[in-house]
Amino acid sequence: MNVKSWVKITPHDAIVAGKSVLASNDVAGQKLLVEVYRKYVNNYPKFFKMDTLCKLGFIASELLLNDIEGTERNSFDDRAVIMFNHSSSYNADCHFQQTIQDVDDFYPSPSVFVYTLPNIVTGEIAIRNKYFGETSFYVIDEPDARIMAQVICNTLVGSGMKSALCGWVECTCDDEFTAVVFLLDGDIDRASFEEEIKSLFTEQ
Amino acid sequence: MSEPILISGAGIVSAIGVGKEPTLKSLLSQSSGIGDVKYLQTAHDEFPVGEVKLSDGEMMSMLGLPQDSTQIRTSLMGMIALKEALQEAGINSDLIGSTGFISGTTVGGMDKSEQYYLDFLDNDRHNEYIATHDCGACTEMIADHFGRFAWLSTISTACSSAANAIVAAANLIKAGEADIVVAGGCECLSKFHLNGFNSLMILDTAPCRPFDATRRGLNLGEGAAYMVLESAASVKRRGIVPLASLWGYGNACDAFHQTASSPDGTGAYKAMAKALEMGGVVPSGIDYINAHGTGTENNDLSESQAIIRLFGDCVPPISSTKSFTGHTTSASGAIEAVICILALQHQFLPVNLNWKEPMENGIKPVTDMKSPRPINMALCNSFGFGGNDTSLLLSRV
Amino acid sequence: MEELILNLKKEIIDVLNLEDVKPEDIDNDAPLFGEGLGLDSIDALELIVLMEKNYGIKLQDAAKGKEIFKSLNTMADYIAKNRKK
Repeated sequence: MNVKSWVKITPHDAIVAGKSVLASNDVAGQKLLVEVYRKYVNNYPKFFKMDTLCKLGFIASELLLNDIEGTERNSFDDRAVIMFNHSSSYNADCHFQQTIQDVDDFYPSPSVFVYTLPNIVTGEIAIRNKYFGETSFYVIDEPDARIMAQVICNTLVGSGMKSALCGWVECTCDDEFTAVVFLLDGDIDRASFEEEIKSLFTEQ
Repeated sequence: MSEPILISGAGIVSAIGVGKEPTLKSLLSQSSGIGDVKYLQTAHDEFPVGEVKLSDGEMMSMLGLPQDSTQIRTSLMGMIALKEALQEAGINSDLIGSTGFISGTTVGGMDKSEQYYLDFLDNDRHNEYIATHDCGACTEMIADHFGRFAWLSTISTACSSAANAIVAAANLIKAGEADIVVAGGCECLSKFHLNGFNSLMILDTAPCRPFDATRRGLNLGEGAAYMVLESAASVKRRGIVPLASLWGYGNACDAFHQTASSPDGTGAYKAMAKALEMGGVVPSGIDYINAHGTGTENNDLSESQAIIRLFGDCVPPISSTKSFTGHTTSASGAIEAVICILALQHQFLPVNLNWKEPMENGIKPVTDMKSPRPINMALCNSFGFGGNDTSLLLSRV
Repeated sequence: MEELILNLKKEIIDVLNLEDVKPEDIDNDAPLFGEGLGLDSIDALELIVLMEKNYGIKLQDAAKGKEIFKSLNTMADYIAKNRKK
């Protein structure tokens, strides 16, 4: 296995390595992210300032790292953060547009504007964990395992990173999102890697 | 040190010229392209901008496109820059099929989306522009103008997008996935990001003065630039004379704040140090640094600190050419890398316009074009929101 | 003044998404930035927007915010003297 562990979050469930971490199914969407934060993180008030894409990526990375490295974790110079999605920062863009939509109520919000970039999510994860390695964000049509495996492998080859926190973080509105996030450490077997990524998206 | 990647062609469009020749002329005559807003429809005429001095229609004519074609400004500029790069490298329609294309952008089709947004909500008059909004569509529109590339990708890491596209292309070539990859970025001005930057209160109402004590912020610009990256074996096989080489590169995360740079420039330091390490070059071997140098209080201090820490008492000549082009955001990494190539080819130091007063704890930028020594190695910095910092090391061939 | 201070606290908590902070948690004299509430530069810009939106005060120079936002008392004081609505 190339993938050390993986996390999947949908509006209805948060799953770590195949097991749901939720006690019940009665919260969904944005509320689900807050509930997971309260239960498993709860020491990073900046979470509440993030847009939904960042909240999603942040929660997914926290669950993943808690599972592998616990809550007392190291900073890394050689860990990459590589994320992909389809809709870029569309959701934050819509929220910012609302602050400039009406000429009589025209107050562009700086704190919303900073999230109108998809790569802020990779930055937020790096800030939280003090990862100084390569961070990148790719916008692709769909979670294509071949492309993701190629990009991740080439990044690791080219940049000398030893491990990588990678995944798909997609958010189209505050209550509609999907995250599939995983950690790689050490050499990657390219042949099996693509299949592994594929299976993460099909597994429940 | 692994084998360097060669650059066999380059194209550029910005406020200081359409193509490398006019760009070089502007750099040598020290004429800035920053001025009053003309093409962008905005109420904020108090902010000077670096606009490409062509309307969308004029660019369509240059490209032989019908005036009523569905185009966004970002990809029109991209097509003009890409055309120049492909022509110079001799990439014809046969070769395109085995060539990759990676483009960085963040604004994408925002210009048309904001123009027609109310129509999208109310009627179906301009629905054709819905599909041109996203960043990936921008790359596809540029690519489709030339044929069928082997591989397309879009990178969106804010103001380091184009530099990261170049890094991604080099990684692909090193990994043996491709022989030739064209990479760079494009970005047009939009009301959306002009207002956004204004909300961050980092726009200057006067022409920007990077690294000056009186600096008050940046001027936004627009443009596009691409370079053809190619393996040494492929260049040899095709008998092409390269313009320069990509000798090294580094990307690091500042891990400090979404938009602000750390006071000591940790990410910038690490990115530059990595580029030097990959190239096997010591700090005293760098002859010129094209700084990110936006002209904001925060960037110029943070970047100065990083440079001083890395270069100690051998700080090379430094300038920010954003004083010519404005900050071309996602395109800036490629625009400034092409400016570095021009500096290497023509052996001059692009100056830092509008600089008068040294800033506290800052570097003193270049105001004289004459270099004290041959310019063989140039470092080009691009830092993006998200703390995404990239440094490219370019070498004369 | 006390009413203004209480309103301001509520508004700050709301616009800055200080989810776990209650108005009574904010000390009127404690620094808003750095230690205190741990606010950053983006929060400062958001406070500038708040002053314009709710009190009609337009601040042209972000650097001025440093003085105004020293503490809740200094901010309330500035608003009381300069408010247009």
